[in-house]
Amino acid sequence: MIVAAGWYMALAAALFVIGALGLLLRRNALVMFMCIELMLNAVNLTLISAGRALNDLNGQVAVFVVLVVAAAEVVVGLAIIVAVFRRRATASVDELSELRG
Amino acid sequence: MIEITTPDVSWIAILPELVLALGAVGVLLVEVQWKPATRVLGAISAITLVIAIFFTFLQWAQAGDALEVGGLDELVAFSGMIVMDGFAVFGRFVLLVMAGLGLLAGWRLVERLNRRGAEAIALVLLATTGFSIMVASNNLVMMFLGLEIGSISLYILAGLTEEKTKADEAAMKYFLLGSFASAIFVYGVALLYAGTGQLEILAIRQFFTEFIVTRPAVILIGLALIIVGLGFKVSAAPFHSWAPDVYQGAPSGVVGYMAAMAKIAGFLAMARILLTAVPQLDDSWLPVIAGISALSMLVGSTIALVQSDVRRLLAYSGVAHAGFILTGIVGGATTGMLFYVTVYSIQLIGAFAVVAVVSGPSSSGSSIDEYRGLARRSPALGAAFAVLLLGMAGLPLTSGFVAKFGVFSEAWANGYGWLVIVALLASVISFAFYLRVIVAMYMEETEEEGIVVSLAARWVLTIAVAGTVLAGILPAPLIDLAADAFPL
Repeated sequence: MIVAAGWYMALAAALFVIGALGLLLRRNALVMFMCIELMLNAVNLTLISAGRALNDLNGQVAVFVVLVVAAAEVVVGLAIIVAVFRRRATASVDELSELRG
Repeated sequence: MIEITTPDVSWIAILPELVLALGAVGVLLVEVQWKPATRVLGAISAITLVIAIFFTFLQWAQAGDALEVGGLDELVAFSGMIVMDGFAVFGRFVLLVMAGLGLLAGWRLVERLNRRGAEAIALVLLATTGFSIMVASNNLVMMFLGLEIGSISLYILAGLTEEKTKADEAAMKYFLLGSFASAIFVYGVALLYAGTGQLEILAIRQFFTEFIVTRPAVILIGLALIIVGLGFKVSAAPFHSWAPDVYQGAPSGVVGYMAAMAKIAGFLAMARILLTAVPQLDDSWLPVIAGISALSMLVGSTIALVQSDVRRLLAYSGVAHAGFILTGIVGGATTGMLFYVTVYSIQLIGAFAVVAVVSGPSSSGSSIDEYRGLARRSPALGAAFAVLLLGMAGLPLTSGFVAKFGVFSEAWANGYGWLVIVALLASVISFAFYLRVIVAMYMEETEEEGIVVSLAARWVLTIAVAGTVLAGILPAPLIDLAADAFPL
């Protein structure tokens, strides 16, 4: 069975929207963080399928860059979430409301 | 015997970034090995920045030569990843100077962090590396990489304090919304790539001159996502919601630096993409940018009116300034925008240096009550803050006035008269909240004692005030430089 690249990109768009909605609707910092990863993986899928459809390597190579960036974000993001959790014993962003004016 | 020919690499194109990255690693290694006094680390970072700035002068000369002789291809290095045009070199230079000022302004924070001070210095240098790659990139993926190197360093800086403060909340909000923005930006890049088959900015421009796109939906959605992503980074309305919380919560020693860096790099990247890669599509993006600009100016300056915290006030004024700077992009030229970004980031770092003095370098929040009678507690500090605020408001004879005049006249010339009128209205409103702080400083009494201003903060404020006044009275040299610094 041959699936056209457009379908992969449609799937990627769906994943991206799910990620974005999840980030906006969920209130747990870890889940929100996973949603960001989902969005980045949707980007990867788009880049790969576009690169395949265009017969161009650039898109596929770009995926490595995005992967490395996502890994770096995990390191910093988890550290920040752990730091917040240690101080407040919660990872819900609703509890984070000391800053307002 | 197999001969391996190494490709010709024009190292000069990335020398400032190389020096910065080596300096950042060097600071960390020296700290681990010898645990020197903080002064030593400061000296290392100062030398790093000076060498990097020296290399930007070399680059500037080379870029000028290449323009005269006509060797434009030589300015594109690393297989089209990096471009060394005047725009990139100017942006780098500004970023490096702001990094130096930012380190000075945050020096008391670095000292207080003790053994973790080295981390703060290294993160500042790394963030500068990233943003400087971002303004010099000719490839959208490279631009994303630079954006993330810079942003991730800033997420950590936002939470870097020795005390239990609200900084962790600021760091978390900045991280979640910043990563969201980065993901949106890179999805825009991917869609632009899917639509045009190109990742290089100059190649995208080539694509649009050669082909007429009949079904541009994917390209336009990609472009819109790129604008949204960068709009988050520069805190333009309606993507500004993170800025007040982060400015309020992050340690005051680094806020000015964080805000200035993200703004400089974000605007330069936006200008490069819009004006260099897709000028052909300006029918589509000009109204959008004009709308974001008008909304930012109005939202920023009206919400700033009701703020009771000076840092939130500066954050909302930053939203308004994002709108003013965007009028320069609507004008279709980069001169006014470069001038504006330069003078505004100096004022921003200076203003937050005052905040760091008044409420402590690692504090969160800075109520306007703390500024009552500041002019009596420390006349010099009060005067410096007043000059910087008036500069931001755009009083004539300050750099802010020249900057606003520049971007407004560009937008007017490009046929966006309504935007200029909105901008003038917003400028008038913005005077009200800047004056509120000045009135609190000068007209109100206080029983508090005098304030001791540290030497580093005095240097920052002297430079910031001198820059604001000088660029207001004699703007011509800086305008000429900015006019020479156009993107390829």
